[in-house]
Amino acid sequence: MLTYKQKHEQANREAGATVVALAITIVVWVVCGFGLSGLDITLFHTPLWVIGGTIGTWVCSIVVVVVLARRFFVGFDLDEKPQNPDAVGEVVHE
Amino acid sequence: MNNTTGFAGLLPVAVFLAVALVIAVLARRQAASETSGRGGFISEYFLGNRTLGPFVLAMTTIATYGSVSSFVGGPGQAWSIGWGWVYMATVQVTALFLLYGILGKKMALVSRRLGSVTVIDVIRERYQSNALAVLSALIMVLFFATTMIAQFVGGAKLFEAVTGYSYVMGLAIFGITCILFTTIGGFRGVAFTDALCGIAMIVGIVVLAGGILSAGGGYGHIMDTIAANHPQMMEPLSGGNMPIGLYFTQWLLVGVFTFCLPQSVVRTMSYKDTKSLHSAMIWGTVICGAMMIGVTSLGVLCAGILPGELADYGGSVDNIIPTAIVQSLPPWLAGVAIIGPIAASISTVSSLLIASSSAIIKDLWLHHAEVTGKQPAEKAVVRSSQVITLVIGAVVFALSVVPPDVIWKINMFAFGGLETAFCWVLVGGLFWKRATATGALLSMGGGTLAYCVTMALGFKIAGLHQITIGITVALVLMVIGSLVTKPTDQKALAAFFPRE
Repeated sequence: MLTYKQKHEQANREAGATVVALAITIVVWVVCGFGLSGLDITLFHTPLWVIGGTIGTWVCSIVVVVVLARRFFVGFDLDEKPQNPDAVGEVVHE
Repeated sequence: MNNTTGFAGLLPVAVFLAVALVIAVLARRQAASETSGRGGFISEYFLGNRTLGPFVLAMTTIATYGSVSSFVGGPGQAWSIGWGWVYMATVQVTALFLLYGILGKKMALVSRRLGSVTVIDVIRERYQSNALAVLSALIMVLFFATTMIAQFVGGAKLFEAVTGYSYVMGLAIFGITCILFTTIGGFRGVAFTDALCGIAMIVGIVVLAGGILSAGGGYGHIMDTIAANHPQMMEPLSGGNMPIGLYFTQWLLVGVFTFCLPQSVVRTMSYKDTKSLHSAMIWGTVICGAMMIGVTSLGVLCAGILPGELADYGGSVDNIIPTAIVQSLPPWLAGVAIIGPIAASISTVSSLLIASSSAIIKDLWLHHAEVTGKQPAEKAVVRSSQVITLVIGAVVFALSVVPPDVIWKINMFAFGGLETAFCWVLVGGLFWKRATATGALLSMGGGTLAYCVTMALGFKIAGLHQITIGITVALVLMVIGSLVTKPTDQKALAAFFPRE
């Protein structure tokens, strides 16, 4: 059972983890795009940096989001019971 | 109607719009049967009674975020610039997970505790400031109106170019339908039709991809042609057409700061449970990435079938996708393909329309009535909500009859303005206890003013887009304004920063 305060603390942690996920995505975007653009390699008629910078970044963002949702984010009841508004909700690990 | 689809192209669009209208009517009926005892008409009409599941939540957010400029202006630029533009468009893969991850649960918790129906409700409660709420409403309606005009214009121009029917006729057909289904369906209707629009956008992309690949002799042939004729299109800096500064500012404009766009933030108050949010985050990122990367890539591939100069296509990049549709697809399939961008246009307009209406009805009128103790009857609220939605839609429609140029620039202007106005007010409000009403007012007013003035003057620092100026000024004013004023009363902060 999470209290209202604990839910906010959890939401803050999740927001922090999301910013880290953004940082990872930006690094991957730079490395797989600009980083690979110096290589004269093409795959399926497409420069490697295009594949890395676009599809690579997209796949990376999916991976970090799945990790966020499955490992860092916690399910809980968003609604409150009227009698005791600060002690509601059950943690649901998905 | 030379080189256009004529009636064959009109038919699929008409069917799509009819389906959207039916969905809105069904959503209204469903809402009417659920409304009694579950928050009343206002909560239902402007927030759908917080019932959105993962699919509709993800699709309505994507459809609101993805506009006609994603389908027309962006790919048109990609035709001119090359893969660098697609690389830049890829930053949009972060849009949904930033929104849901940073604000998703905080907004849901706070808005439920306070009974808030709009983003401005939350801002008013957090900062205990009516002046800030009124300023928020005015800025929101102003920038939303600008965006809506750009969407209507983009959709109608595309309709005209592809079908051969007049601009005004196109505007009338999908503009009036859009205004009607928003007025009838409210937020729930908008969310459901957004889901339909999201599917239509994907279908449109797939159909157009098929047409371009077929007309260009296959992907390999198109890419080899581009590499031979325009080698700079295969470089990230595109021979100097894509400076690093542009990448940086686009990361801010369409990537990092999109999480504080109020039309997206309201969706974090509307979902059913945290499980829905988590699923929407995953599927939204998958779909948003596929859509944005996919549709922008089509712009590059258009260079394989439209090898002329820009002047050959009317002198505007906005004409590239319509031309590609007409030239690469048979008429009836072209009609299916244009449903994608038209869906992008009407889904954005409908979301902004209902949000504008909520700002006027809920945040200004009903709040004033509450303060003065003159609460209107439920019937009057119902009628007024629908009338205001209709009137705003009609005004935007009328302003769209004389079209401005270059849709994506207008869209970006409004994006930047909304981000500047709301970013630090929302972030400070939810995550910084020390943020005060004075800081928020200065941040919103000063930041927006700095942004608009520098945009009007064309003033830039180090060649960077004016969002960098607006957002920095807004941050500095928020910090200084908050630190030099008394902290907000602890009681008012209880819902935002609970002590136990």
